[in-house]
Amino acid sequence: MILQTHLLNNALIADIQLKEANLSNSEQFKGELISLINNGNKFVVVNFEQVTYVDSSFLGALVSALKLAMNNSADIAVVGLNSDIRSLFQLVRLDKVFRIYTNTQEALTGA
Amino acid sequence: MPKRSKILLVDDSPLVLLVIGQALEKEGFDSRRAGSVEEAMALLEKEIPDLILSDYQMPGTDGFAFRQSLIAIPEYKNIPFMFLTSVTDHAHMITGMSMDAIDYIDKDTPITFVISKINNFLNSIRERHEHTIRELSSAAMALNLYSVPQETPRIRGFEIDFWHKSFENYPGGDFIDAITINNRYTFIIMGDVMGKKWGAWFFSFGYLSYIRAAVRLCVSEGDVSTRSIMQKINLVIYHDPVVSEVLSTLSLIMIDSEHETLSYTGAGDLPLLYFSYAEQRINRITSSGLLLGISKEGGFDEHLLTMQPGDQLLLITDGLIDKETPVGKKTDLDSFINEIAKYLGKFNSFESLKHDGFLNQKANEQIDDCSLIFIQKTANDITNTFA
Repeated sequence: MILQTHLLNNALIADIQLKEANLSNSEQFKGELISLINNGNKFVVVNFEQVTYVDSSFLGALVSALKLAMNNSADIAVVGLNSDIRSLFQLVRLDKVFRIYTNTQEALTGA
Repeated sequence: MPKRSKILLVDDSPLVLLVIGQALEKEGFDSRRAGSVEEAMALLEKEIPDLILSDYQMPGTDGFAFRQSLIAIPEYKNIPFMFLTSVTDHAHMITGMSMDAIDYIDKDTPITFVISKINNFLNSIRERHEHTIRELSSAAMALNLYSVPQETPRIRGFEIDFWHKSFENYPGGDFIDAITINNRYTFIIMGDVMGKKWGAWFFSFGYLSYIRAAVRLCVSEGDVSTRSIMQKINLVIYHDPVVSEVLSTLSLIMIDSEHETLSYTGAGDLPLLYFSYAEQRINRITSSGLLLGISKEGGFDEHLLTMQPGDQLLLITDGLIDKETPVGKKTDLDSFINEIAKYLGKFNSFESLKHDGFLNQKANEQIDDCSLIFIQKTANDITNTFA
């Protein structure tokens, strides 16, 4: 399992347990995240705290899951991005697509 | 450097783990060691090895039960599995081999022989894999499915070059194209389909067909705005259930050779790098558009550029800007810009990027496709001079 999940208030926190998030694990990640949405979770907070590097196929997997979430009236927020990954989100304009928070607590309060 | 194969060793004896683990490392393998099946399952959650070498007799869950539980899990069932055990009576060997194990080896076998077996097996897998890729690549070529054009367009006043290197020779997720509409308008396209290898490869051709059709339809109706064309492509992809699951970046450039201008619209792409000859510096041109198909509107803009002789414009995909550092891999556009700067501003910039090994070295560091489009404004002819 790539995602370790726990419930916190009305959100499902999904911790990515990877250092390098890339082509070799993006399909499994997408499958797991899609299952969480299909299981009826309406607000999933994907936590990148352990991740030091993300490639485009992993970002693609994250965006695919968001599209599914939007069709199911659910939402995905992103937290715990290191400065390089945050810059990458900005470079490819994913900061306009995802709600990005510093940590899970901020995501829950919408700060 | 070739990738080191990862072997997961499972044995309750710390001594066996140590001895075999060290022997494997010495032969260039990357070994992971688990003292029990439970530990092995925990390691598998983090990383899929190239092969599992497991004992049979272990306290708690034994090797057969381990193998059976792996077979029941789709992500694990195809990991090559070998038994290495001292329980070698016929009944056990037959049971072990009946569980789709690739070998059942006696623990008394010299370790060098065990390593030869592992090497032989992994080499045969590699050869089969390379053979399959060769076959599929030639099938793709026979169908005329290139993701990069075979020839670069010749446009008065501009020099255009493409460079592309696919990851481990997979026909890739990056695509490049040039569509010459007439003597005046040429469209240059670059995209990166974000997805797994074969899926990305297949869809990159699908995307290219969409884009080619959209560009030609729009131009035939008198629409030559890159923003408007991008909006139309985005809308079609957004509504098409077949391709809406696949995501792609797209950079769309239109060269107007009559006015000597370029229009640019981007969708989730990296900034263009613009080398200004007069300023002797690289500026970034950032578009506002989102990845294709994410939202109905896409938020696209259009940049109009008038290049002066000597100015150079580079389009790149993200494979080129990743960097290996002592603390791991990172994405770093700033470093890439610093490194490429010394090659720019010369009449043969592209040739030296290609032949000095800069681009190949970047590509070899990556586990992704790498692509670059190079556009240079020349004097008003097609020779390689600035003025």
